[in-house]
Amino acid sequence: MIKIAQLSCGTEYSSVQYEIEKAARSVGATIVHPDVSASDIDKAVERFGFKPQSPQLKLMIARAVQLADRKYDADAVFIATCFRCAEGALVRNELRRFIQDNTRLPVVTYSFTERLKAAQLLTRMEALVTIVTRKELLARERQSGITVGIDSGSSTTKAVVMINNKIAGKDWTPSGDVIRSAEHVLENALAEAGVKMKDVEAIGTTGYGRFRLGTHYNAKLVQEELTVNSKGAVWLADKQRGEATILDIGGMDNKAITVRDGVPDNFTMGGICAGASGRFLEMVSKRLKIEVTELGSLADKGNWRNAKMNSYCSVFGIQDLVTTLGEGRTFEDVAAAACHSVAEQVYEQQLQEIDVRHPIIQVGGTSLISGLVAAVGEILGSKPIVPENSQYIGAVGGAILSSGFLEGY
Amino acid sequence: MNVRETRLIVISPASHITPDQLTRTIHAMGKNVTVKESCYGAVIEGEKEVVREVISEVRKLDVNGIFSKVRAFRVADPRRCRAHHGTRPGFAQLEQEWEDLWKIHRGLDRTDKGEKASVRTERKKLSVEGFKRICEVK
Amino acid sequence: MKIFIDPPNSLILYDLVERFGHEPLSTMAAIQEKIDRTEIDMPPMNVSLEDVMKGLKYAGIEVPSGVRGRLAVWGPMIEDAEAAIIMEDCPYSFGCVGCHRTNLMVRYLIKRKGIPVLDVNYPNDEDEGKDIVAKIKEFLEGLK
Repeated sequence: MIKIAQLSCGTEYSSVQYEIEKAARSVGATIVHPDVSASDIDKAVERFGFKPQSPQLKLMIARAVQLADRKYDADAVFIATCFRCAEGALVRNELRRFIQDNTRLPVVTYSFTERLKAAQLLTRMEALVTIVTRKELLARERQSGITVGIDSGSSTTKAVVMINNKIAGKDWTPSGDVIRSAEHVLENALAEAGVKMKDVEAIGTTGYGRFRLGTHYNAKLVQEELTVNSKGAVWLADKQRGEATILDIGGMDNKAITVRDGVPDNFTMGGICAGASGRFLEMVSKRLKIEVTELGSLADKGNWRNAKMNSYCSVFGIQDLVTTLGEGRTFEDVAAAACHSVAEQVYEQQLQEIDVRHPIIQVGGTSLISGLVAAVGEILGSKPIVPENSQYIGAVGGAILSSGFLEGY
Repeated sequence: MNVRETRLIVISPASHITPDQLTRTIHAMGKNVTVKESCYGAVIEGEKEVVREVISEVRKLDVNGIFSKVRAFRVADPRRCRAHHGTRPGFAQLEQEWEDLWKIHRGLDRTDKGEKASVRTERKKLSVEGFKRICEVK
Repeated sequence: MKIFIDPPNSLILYDLVERFGHEPLSTMAAIQEKIDRTEIDMPPMNVSLEDVMKGLKYAGIEVPSGVRGRLAVWGPMIEDAEAAIIMEDCPYSFGCVGCHRTNLMVRYLIKRKGIPVLDVNYPNDEDEGKDIVAKIKEFLEGLK
């Protein structure tokens, strides 16, 4: 049984503790609370150096120190505090850093409200468990044989056929029915690769529809998108060794993952605000009556400072942009402002929760919007790498990892 | 329906009573309660009235050295069981209060003898003027 | 009389209130009421989403859920209280009293209610232990 150490404040009084334990159980893990005695606490807080007012946060610190000193044995760490609590947010983030500096344990942080998003929590727990249990598989750097990866995302469905460490066929479509969308892209990818379904030796599925597709195709690998995408991203960017940050601004939720040698050690997932997602850019394009693919190149020529927005919101923010156009600003400036707004939101809402490591590999469909990549680069101080086929990370990761099963993983 | 009550009985570190003596005394009363010895005393559980009877009786072993409070969770409730979850937050607090219990124990003894609370003058911060004078002394 | 104690899970305060003939209102009793509700399965505390929403009576939606959930447990107890004893500078109070902001709000709610309140400090030595006992005894006897 995988032991996930929980360091938290407020979960039992926010009606979410049960959900946390349920999510852990459903992925074959158990939540544990490192043992601490009263006499450990002052010393731990002193050593950590941050002295919070809230006693429960002090207890979190003491528990983290137990883990750092190997006095308590766990396989992964889950750190959670209440959303909107400043003291909790500071301690949560600094403890995450402390655990990473002092252990090799994978960590995930989470700020919750009483209306916890069960599906997102499950993905986080699943990823923690995958990192622990499939260490060897995740360390895989090459694809072998003929394998397929299917990424059933909230906005698009992608399929990739790989043959001996090369992409042989690929296709994508906007997501509709999970199975039909997958069948459609798979058929086209197989045709491009010139292979038949019967030749495929292994299939890996990921994304929201992974479980249904996993059953439908009898997939060898059914795995959450955090670990699968990381693998695909470092392979595509040829950054399999060392550290990197993978940023995927998606249609529904964003992922920011830090990796060491291709294996995630911390990640955040967002999904509270449409203003911080690819959906925002889609809506802006629609309102401006241009294709989303044009938005990026328009933005490259504009200056966001000329079209200031008073809101990030996908309703009011977009209205601001339209008003700005009415005032005579150019489409280019407005497009740049839209890209800047999303990048800034991702930075404010998510990237604060991880230590951004360079290089930054930007992936997913939105990485094809050049203006957004430029905006992210401007905010983070260095331009992200956008590998070729960056929108296929999940499918590529699925194909690479599933090929591990051919060699008796 | 009779109301269930679970109680922690905690012995002051300055008391001569041991957890073993405490639990044996409770067992000897022959009341319908569950008793579990702990490092600080015991946990007992039963019908509220019976539990209270037992508590007032067992206190007589050392009136000022035996303390008690109710506990929300039943004995060995899996939701709070240490074996399943490790120590729970309240444990460290109980540990600390137990350690300091002798101060209250002695306080009760002294109050019984008629001692009153002493009037303490609060320490005030040094005035800016006063601090300035100190700084200016060569 | 019903005496609210703060920290509401304190062994020392619970014991002294009972010892001097009053009824302590404690977290333990409030939590017991929740966890014995078999129709709700939200372990460990059975603080449900509905409870957290009830906390809105005491603090707005911009306040973290953990604060509102805690206030939902204590708010009704404070409403029932006829007097209160507040112990400051406690070395450790975790779990239910683990949130400093909630603790500030609880103390404010007690003061706002206008019931008799005794403030004491956690004892550093035997003399202070004696002072606490004597003060609490006098306070509680004065309520009778």
